[in-house]
Amino acid sequence: MASPAQQLPPGWAAEWDPANQRYLFIETASGHRQWEPPAMVPAAPADLVTSGSPPPTHHAKRRQYAAGQTHAYYGDAVAPDPNYGAMQPPPPAGGQLFTPGLAAENQFAQQQQPPQPYYGQPQPAPEYGNVPAYGPGPTAVGGGAVNALADQFGQMGMGGQKQFQLYTTNLLTSPPDPRELLQPPPEIRLPPNACISPSPHANAHPSYQRSTLNAIPTTSSLLNKAKVPLGLILTPYRSLDEGEEPVPVVTDTVIARCRRCRTYINPYVQFIDGGNRWRCCMCNMSNEVPQLFDWDQVRNQPGDRWSRAELNHAVVEFVAPTEYMVRPPQPAVYVFLIDVSHAAVQSGMVATATRTILENLDRIPDEDGRTKISIICYDTSLYFFSIPPGSADSTMLVVADVEDVFLPKPTDLLVNLVECRQSLETLLGRINGMFQDNMTVGSAMGPALQAGFKLMSHIGGKITVLSSSLPSVGQGALKNREDSKILGTSKESGLLQAASPFYKTFAIECSRAQVSVDMFLFSAAYQDVASLACLPHYTSGQTYYYPGFNAAKSEDAIKFAREFGDVLAMPIMLEAVMRVRASRGLRMASFHGNFFVRSTDLLAMPAVPQDQSYAIEIQIEETITTPFVVLQTAVLHTTCYGERRIRVITLALPTTSNLSEVFASADQVAIATLLANKAVERSLTHKLEDSRDHIFAKLVEVLTTYKTSMTAAGSGASAQLAISENLKMLPVLVLGLLKNVGIRQSAQIPPDIRAYSQALLTSLPSQLLIPYIYPNFYSLHNMPPDAGTVGEQGVIMPPPLPLTSERMERHGLYLIEDGQTMFLWIGRDAVPQLVADVFGLPNYEALRGGKTTLPVIDTPISQRISAVIQKTREMRRGVYYPHLYIVKEDGEQPLRLWALSALVQDRADVLPSYQQFIQTLKDKVNGVGSY
Amino acid sequence: MGGAGWLFLFAVLMAAALLFTSVFFIIMFSDLECDYINPIDLCNKLNQFVLPENGAHAFLTVLFLLSGQWIAFGLNLPLVVFNALKIQKNNHMFDATEIFRNIPDHKRESFIKLGFYLLSFFYYLYRMIVALIAESE
Repeated sequence: MASPAQQLPPGWAAEWDPANQRYLFIETASGHRQWEPPAMVPAAPADLVTSGSPPPTHHAKRRQYAAGQTHAYYGDAVAPDPNYGAMQPPPPAGGQLFTPGLAAENQFAQQQQPPQPYYGQPQPAPEYGNVPAYGPGPTAVGGGAVNALADQFGQMGMGGQKQFQLYTTNLLTSPPDPRELLQPPPEIRLPPNACISPSPHANAHPSYQRSTLNAIPTTSSLLNKAKVPLGLILTPYRSLDEGEEPVPVVTDTVIARCRRCRTYINPYVQFIDGGNRWRCCMCNMSNEVPQLFDWDQVRNQPGDRWSRAELNHAVVEFVAPTEYMVRPPQPAVYVFLIDVSHAAVQSGMVATATRTILENLDRIPDEDGRTKISIICYDTSLYFFSIPPGSADSTMLVVADVEDVFLPKPTDLLVNLVECRQSLETLLGRINGMFQDNMTVGSAMGPALQAGFKLMSHIGGKITVLSSSLPSVGQGALKNREDSKILGTSKESGLLQAASPFYKTFAIECSRAQVSVDMFLFSAAYQDVASLACLPHYTSGQTYYYPGFNAAKSEDAIKFAREFGDVLAMPIMLEAVMRVRASRGLRMASFHGNFFVRSTDLLAMPAVPQDQSYAIEIQIEETITTPFVVLQTAVLHTTCYGERRIRVITLALPTTSNLSEVFASADQVAIATLLANKAVERSLTHKLEDSRDHIFAKLVEVLTTYKTSMTAAGSGASAQLAISENLKMLPVLVLGLLKNVGIRQSAQIPPDIRAYSQALLTSLPSQLLIPYIYPNFYSLHNMPPDAGTVGEQGVIMPPPLPLTSERMERHGLYLIEDGQTMFLWIGRDAVPQLVADVFGLPNYEALRGGKTTLPVIDTPISQRISAVIQKTREMRRGVYYPHLYIVKEDGEQPLRLWALSALVQDRADVLPSYQQFIQTLKDKVNGVGSY
Repeated sequence: MGGAGWLFLFAVLMAAALLFTSVFFIIMFSDLECDYINPIDLCNKLNQFVLPENGAHAFLTVLFLLSGQWIAFGLNLPLVVFNALKIQKNNHMFDATEIFRNIPDHKRESFIKLGFYLLSFFYYLYRMIVALIAESE
């Protein structure tokens, strides 16, 4: 119920007295009660003390707004205060970033306090690594100025919606600056009154859901004119940052949804009819507010509607009642299929994997003690382990018939983690020893998968496959089809498609039975990653690839153990389905990512891992007449703790009929992510060459349109290559994508590496994907004195450099990292002192290139570099733990070339440098040459 | 009734049957778009009909060839080649994982086939009548 609580000074609470039908006001500190509302006077100083210095005028306005709401609610002032439209500026995006979320129970107190200070606060925590304080960049200043200007307009009552300012830059004269990528996406400027909540969390954070355009064109012809692809990039289940509040949970199972379009209630609906009904923000349907919506079930008394989490937060979770279940919540089930063939045992994979499982048994999500585990080993036969509950020992059952797979025993193969803990531990300790002398070569992965599936198909869960060789026996056997002659030709894309239909049909079966498959692949030889990756791809799993894994190298073992351990410990969403709803006129056209499309707009995901990203292309089907649109993602899932929940993520975006606003609101990071997904899909359905041409043509189209419609040059030739400030990095991101291992034109990339890279391109969230296509490049020998030391936001990173070897000095030490690998590049004239301080070796000659762990030396530079490397490994989402390679300037050729290929602005082989690329773009845009 | 008459009578019945399969395909695709059926069931169902349909059409074409009906044979040949190429490339079956991406293409193909069978139905009917008249004279 709309309570007068919002108007109260701090320290006061309002309680509805049903007997007298009015509010009772209580001073919480003293317990003093009164019927009259307390005076407002003491509020302001208290506010100033509690939360910095909010603009006092703003504060007063907010009160007025709340009063307006209350009045509207009581029905005596249906028409809103004519002024408050203009006086209620929408919470700008800056305020939504990384500010701690409000737990539902804190809302009451929060509402009595002024809102977060919106203006003048520096943009907190940039997305791609916490690089602090360079001083405000040019766009930040511009943005600030615009804000101020627009605020003035707002104050003058000229209508609240701020206009996007379009700043044009010339790509020829402004080289790409990596710091641009750290800027947040263009601000979402919703019309005033769009949102009923003053909370800064009322619109989804870009890390959950971001659109390629932050102002949606009203017609499809405008979108087609702009040529910028419209799409949604979402990571509904992302990991929480350190210090971030968990997603608020609505526990009372009162779930208000639109009757017609099934939208969940969110901060963008409107309450009408005295608050008894709400108007859906997507289809305009008027719905009844559920009776218990204003009832606090915990305290069993009337609650405050305005403090409900779903009206204040864009990301909420509802605890789902039984209507949302087809069966009681399932326990989490983990089945491990471990390859114990000769190659696997010799590489040390089996030993490392079993040890990692053993060490992480405690970290496997098992809060309610229901988690089940099974271990199946396989070479050309299957080895099951039966663990009777209560016994401390296990028996091995061998099934040699892999043509028609059966389970050797109906029970005790899939066991409860808690009950059989003891025997599991002994078993895991023994597996490596058991197969130590296994000389069998070959892999019955297909039959093992079928066996694992049979074991768990009545429950669903996760199958983790650890494999060191190409499947060779039974169903799903694959042939070595690697053929270096067709690499780099148009036939290459055939190698990136599944070789056997088994991996698609089995994936569909898995998806139906709510089984998800994770692949850990280790082979040094060809393993057909492309076929095997199909299983994770359609069952919402993930592929991890460790080419040439050898546990004798401690780096390999550490990397795998770290990543595997984190995957085991990761909380997962089981039995999930996802649907994205959007306002009228928008349609989800095509879907990219790891899931199975079960119906036109329903994505089936048997087990959702954290930090997996999906991309959805959006079509504009009819003219949009509303001032803003809402895109709502709902994921119905069972948590791994046995609770059925719905995670709802709401993103509201303004609409525009102005082409310049479309350009000014485009989000280059989201566009690059969408293009990466489209490029991979195209490389599979068409050819690799087509996919490169496609994204290049897309970029040319955008630039051409920009030139003809936004600059004075029109359709004539121009000496400039113009693009708006916020899209400045798009060309270099596209170049990075064209040079990425997954897409690059080359006859040397093994198909396995390519397939793995493509799997990454389609599943990494933007925060990881951007460094993957545009790596970070730091100079370490001359980094600023505070870099590598601990600052306010953790370790301070050195400033990133543009990715070109022009920046390299012959005596320098550089770090190049793309989130998957790190290269420590050392110039040939490095002074012995630097080598001694960093590597503990006498001089450059003594240094060896290759995979390494940096020694800990008690020198400041070594500690700072270690801190930078440590931070690089930790600052991103996802489980990836990049390898560190030392690359000597005159060292081994392959390693050197690999490191240099990360410098995407350089010319490499047939691939153009950034200057050449820009020049080609300019020629194309000016109509010189042909496509 | 002589050879040509029987042949075209058979062809008419065959064309009618093929016509129905095309209609069936189209109905199933729209069912999928309206969410009445899930893609897995759809593909399982339709895949049963793909090879019989292609086979029946190829059989009819061979019959025309053997009986020396060159025009009818020439009309049907392109479709036979098209089907054969698809089978050779191994993408004649419907793939549940890709179906939503390809559904416009599948629908278009079914509509073209529908039109083709409809026209050939009337053509065979006409030829049958012509053959019967020729005989009776």
